[in-house]
Amino acid sequence: MEVMSAVPRLLWLLPPVLLLLFPACESRDPELSPVTCGSLLKLLNTRHNVRLHSHDVKYGSGSGQQSVTGVESADDANSYWHIRGKPKRPCQRGVAIKCGQSIRITHMKTGRNLHSHHFSSPLSNNQEVSAFGENGEGDDLDVWTVQCDGVHWERDEAVRFKHLGTDVFLSVTGEQYGHPIRGQREVHGMSSPNQHNWWKAMEGVFIQPSLEPLRHDEL
Amino acid sequence: IPYIFGHNAISVFCICISDLFLHRRDFYKILGVTKSASIRDIKKAYRKLAMQLHPDRNPDDPKAQDKFADLGAAYEVLSDEEKRGQYDKYGEDGLKEGHHGSHNDIFSSFFGDFGFMFGGNRQQQDRNIPRGNDITFDLEVTLEEVYSGNFVEVVRNKPVAKEASGKRKCNCRQEMRTTQLGPGRFQMTQEMVCDECPNVKLVNEEKTLEVEIEQGVRDDMEYPFIGEGEPHIDGEPGDLRFRIKVLKHPVFERRGDDLYTNVTISLVEALVGFQMDIVHLDGHKVHIVRDKITKPGARMWKKGEGLPNFDNINIRGSLIITFDVEFPPTQLDEQQKDGE
Repeated sequence: MEVMSAVPRLLWLLPPVLLLLFPACESRDPELSPVTCGSLLKLLNTRHNVRLHSHDVKYGSGSGQQSVTGVESADDANSYWHIRGKPKRPCQRGVAIKCGQSIRITHMKTGRNLHSHHFSSPLSNNQEVSAFGENGEGDDLDVWTVQCDGVHWERDEAVRFKHLGTDVFLSVTGEQYGHPIRGQREVHGMSSPNQHNWWKAMEGVFIQPSLEPLRHDEL
Repeated sequence: IPYIFGHNAISVFCICISDLFLHRRDFYKILGVTKSASIRDIKKAYRKLAMQLHPDRNPDDPKAQDKFADLGAAYEVLSDEEKRGQYDKYGEDGLKEGHHGSHNDIFSSFFGDFGFMFGGNRQQQDRNIPRGNDITFDLEVTLEEVYSGNFVEVVRNKPVAKEASGKRKCNCRQEMRTTQLGPGRFQMTQEMVCDECPNVKLVNEEKTLEVEIEQGVRDDMEYPFIGEGEPHIDGEPGDLRFRIKVLKHPVFERRGDDLYTNVTISLVEALVGFQMDIVHLDGHKVHIVRDKITKPGARMWKKGEGLPNFDNINIRGSLIITFDVEFPPTQLDEQQKDGE
C-alpha cells in the first residue's frame, strides 16, 4: 500500500527532472563551442579578475622588452591576442585547439608574441613574461602549451598556459605597478600550477569552423 | 540612435503588413538564386542585394521598405535548412508562426551594428562624439577561397554599454576658472569639471557575423563591420575591420589575376611531347597537350584559367605553366645508353 502512494509523488517529480536532463531548444549553443585557431580574444585571469594586456611600454629592468601586464578594464583593444600555430607550422583557420596543443599568442596591436625567458620579473622576482618579435615572428621561446582536461579548449572553461621552453605557467599574483602604468598587475611565469594560473577566454572574435575544406590536398 | 529604433519599427511594421496581403512571395526570385542554390550562394546574394536595396540607398523609392523587408524574409527562410524545406514543400503559407529575428539582426550580421554607411565609412554626423577603439583582424584566406569565394562565420563577443542604477561623472574636461582676488585683480586657475550622466555598466553580448571572402579579393582589402569594435562608455563603439591576408599556396603563385605554376617533365617527354592534367584550385582539371620539343624554362599560357578579377568576376586572368626538364641524376649505364 505504501508503494502505491509513493508512486504518484515520484511521478510529480518527473517533469522537472526530465527538464534538467534534457533542456529545451537547440542541442549546442555557439557560445559553448571551443576556441579555434585564428581567433582573436581577451584572456581573463580568474583569480585576480584582470585581462592579459600589452602595450608599447618596455620593461625598465630584466630583458628591456615590451611589457605584458594584467588590466582591470574590459574595453581596451590592447587586451586582444591572436591564437596562432607554432612557428613554421600554421594551424588551420577555424579548427578547434586541442588540450595539450602548442600555440603562439600574438598581441593584436603590436604584432609581438607572448614570450618568456630566464629573466626575473620586476616586482615579484618570478620569471619575466614579455612580448617579443615583429609582425608575429619571434623565436622558439614564443611557444605555449594549452593545458586543460577534456579534448578541446572550451570557451567557457579556464585553462592554463605552460611555457614550452622553460616549463613555467602564465600567472598573476597581484603585485601592482606604479607610474606610468599605475594599477596594472604584473604577469609572470611561475613553476607550479596553482590557483593563480587559470585563464578564461572572454571577449573576442571567434572563428567558427568552415563547412567545406579550405584545401584539397591531404595534410 | 532614435533613428535606428524608428527604422526598426518600420521594417517590423512592413513585415506584418506584407504578411497580411502577400502570402505567395517567391523567395528564390527575390534573392535571384536557383532552387538548388547552396547556402553560400544565398549568403552572397543577400549581401549583394542588401547593399543595393537598403532604404537609405533608395530614398526616392516608395517601395524601398517593402523590397528590403521581402529580402530579409527571403534570407531568413532560405538560410535555415528546416524553414527552407517547409517553404519548398508548402510555400510561404506552410511556414510555422513567428519571425524569429528582425531584419535588423540579419543585416547587422553582414554589415555591423549601426546600420548602413555608404562606402563602409562612418558618416560623420557629430565629430565630437568619442569613439571606442577599432579592431583590425588579419583574416588569413587560402588561394582556393580567393578562386571560389567563401563565407567565414565568426562569433563576436563584445562588451556593450548598458544602463545601470545611479549616476556617474562623464565628459570630464579641464576648464579655466577666473576668481577675483580684489579690485582689478584676478586669478585664473585650471579646474576639472564633469557632467553627471546616467550610470553605465559593460555587459558581454554575442552575435554571429558573416564575413564574405569575395572572388578575386586582394591582399589587405578590408571588410568593415560598423560598431562591432570596442565600446566607449561616453560615446560610440569603434569598428571591427577584417583585413584579408592571402596565404602562400604550395602549387600556385598569384601575380595579380594570373596564376603561375611549375611542372617538371621527363627528358623523354621534353623530346617527344606529352599530355597531362593540372588540378586547379576548385578541383577542375586543366588539360595540357604538347607535341613539340619542350625546352627547360619554356612557358605555356592558358587564358581564362587564372583568378577571377575582383571588379568583374567574368574576366579571368591566365594560368602560366613553366616547364622544368628532369635530367637523369647520374651516369647512364650501358643498358640505358642502348636505349631502354
